[in-house]
Amino acid sequence: MAKFAFIVPPLTGHVNPTLSIGAVLLQQGHEVAWISLDSSLAERLPQGGQLLLIQYAANDLEKQESELYLDIITKKIVYGIDSIKFLYEDVLIPLNRHSYKGIVWWLDQFKPDLIITDHQLVAGAIAAVHQNIPYATSVTAPAAIKVMDELPKVHEWEQNQIVALQQELGIISGKSIACSELLTLVLTSGAFFGEMELPDQYRFVGPVVHKRKGNSSFDWDRFEHMKGKHKLLVSIGTTFNHEHKKSFFTRVIEAFGDGPYTVVVVSDPLLFDHWPANFIVQQNVPQLDLLPHLDAVICHGGHNTVSETLSNGLPLVVIPIAYDQSHVAGRVVRTGAGLRLNFNRFKAKHLKEAVDEVLVNPAFKQAAEQLKVSFVAAGGTAAAADLLVQLTLNQPAVIFNT
Amino acid sequence: MDTVVSAAKLNSNEIFDLMKQFITEVIGEEFVEEMDITLESSFTKDLEMDSIEIVSFSEKIKIHFGEKIDFTGWLSGMDIDQLISLNLGMIVNFIEECQ
Repeated sequence: MAKFAFIVPPLTGHVNPTLSIGAVLLQQGHEVAWISLDSSLAERLPQGGQLLLIQYAANDLEKQESELYLDIITKKIVYGIDSIKFLYEDVLIPLNRHSYKGIVWWLDQFKPDLIITDHQLVAGAIAAVHQNIPYATSVTAPAAIKVMDELPKVHEWEQNQIVALQQELGIISGKSIACSELLTLVLTSGAFFGEMELPDQYRFVGPVVHKRKGNSSFDWDRFEHMKGKHKLLVSIGTTFNHEHKKSFFTRVIEAFGDGPYTVVVVSDPLLFDHWPANFIVQQNVPQLDLLPHLDAVICHGGHNTVSETLSNGLPLVVIPIAYDQSHVAGRVVRTGAGLRLNFNRFKAKHLKEAVDEVLVNPAFKQAAEQLKVSFVAAGGTAAAADLLVQLTLNQPAVIFNT
Repeated sequence: MDTVVSAAKLNSNEIFDLMKQFITEVIGEEFVEEMDITLESSFTKDLEMDSIEIVSFSEKIKIHFGEKIDFTGWLSGMDIDQLISLNLGMIVNFIEECQ
């Protein structure tokens, strides 16, 4: 039996797939731990999983910083290429720099046989190299590793930020080591990812769908008796702030309020005093249980929601806000599984037109069904867990990650 | 002599109008009507175009001017700060100089 350590950033979408993969490893009898800044992760870990919490209790300033990173990403309104700069300069690089010492300390205590670090947490890779422990990478937001041929300097700039941090932390190489040369798990199918030449150690294992622990209550009876013929889910994820949400849901209400739709909305119900009668609004919904009963999903292009929707063969209308979501939306459009709208510009009638189009034209659903097939073929959670276990079996005495 | 029909040299006003037409095609006519598009309009902040929309815009320029103007090459040489501050005037100047 082997010891695995997942190193994760405090971002739900990046953590959830590791919980499913970790659960499989635990069931097989392996020892599994998660290194994170987020103490609330303890409640979400699969049974038997250990939380190795990064804490800098001795130093108040560092402790305050930890708390800052837990929600920094929700605080600023950023858009387009600007948001990539914000993500690296204000979030990822400081987050990595801040986490590094804690990661090193925990690796020293836990001594895992294999590290699985998130692609945006290069600090994990740097620590692994210094301690001579092999590491794999989980690419939980695959669109982020896609290079735009037309704007190559955007990717180059991202790489430069990473390399500068690596050098600061003692890795001389001029190349990013964020993606492991041993194994890089890309959590989607090749069909959804699209054309791009990648080295052999990049393995498309398909999305790892995570069934969240605890059951969000849901009024199934009310849902089943609602008259709206077209059943929709609207979710813009966990990361965006109040103003974004208000502006967004105002348009959703105008588009579908009192129309022939049953609309399940993931939002704080207190966002508005009044919601239309054909809306069910909850902070949390049992999304995986709900999806098989729906006709289409409207979302911001977060990788996990898009993957879960396509895993159910449902078409989408994607309204990207920032970061890599524009690319996710681009892939949905390119594969024919849905339409995209511009977050700042779209109006209620565009949303209604787009949703009606994906509902009426069967080509969208067919394309979504094809992606579902590609996801199943990629293997998902079990395939990802197998590849990780394989690495611990066939290990040469020393593995150099660089 | 071949295909020089669209190769007539455009002046900067004509280029500006053509660029406005391409922007309209990318983001939709009704949105453009509400915007005050000028030479100073930046793609990211003023026109609120994301990277994918900027790329579709550049494809339109490529199709229109063909090999005469290496717009893609010019764009691909831009670093992230140049892209964030890229405005319509810079593009009009570039095309005018290339002609």
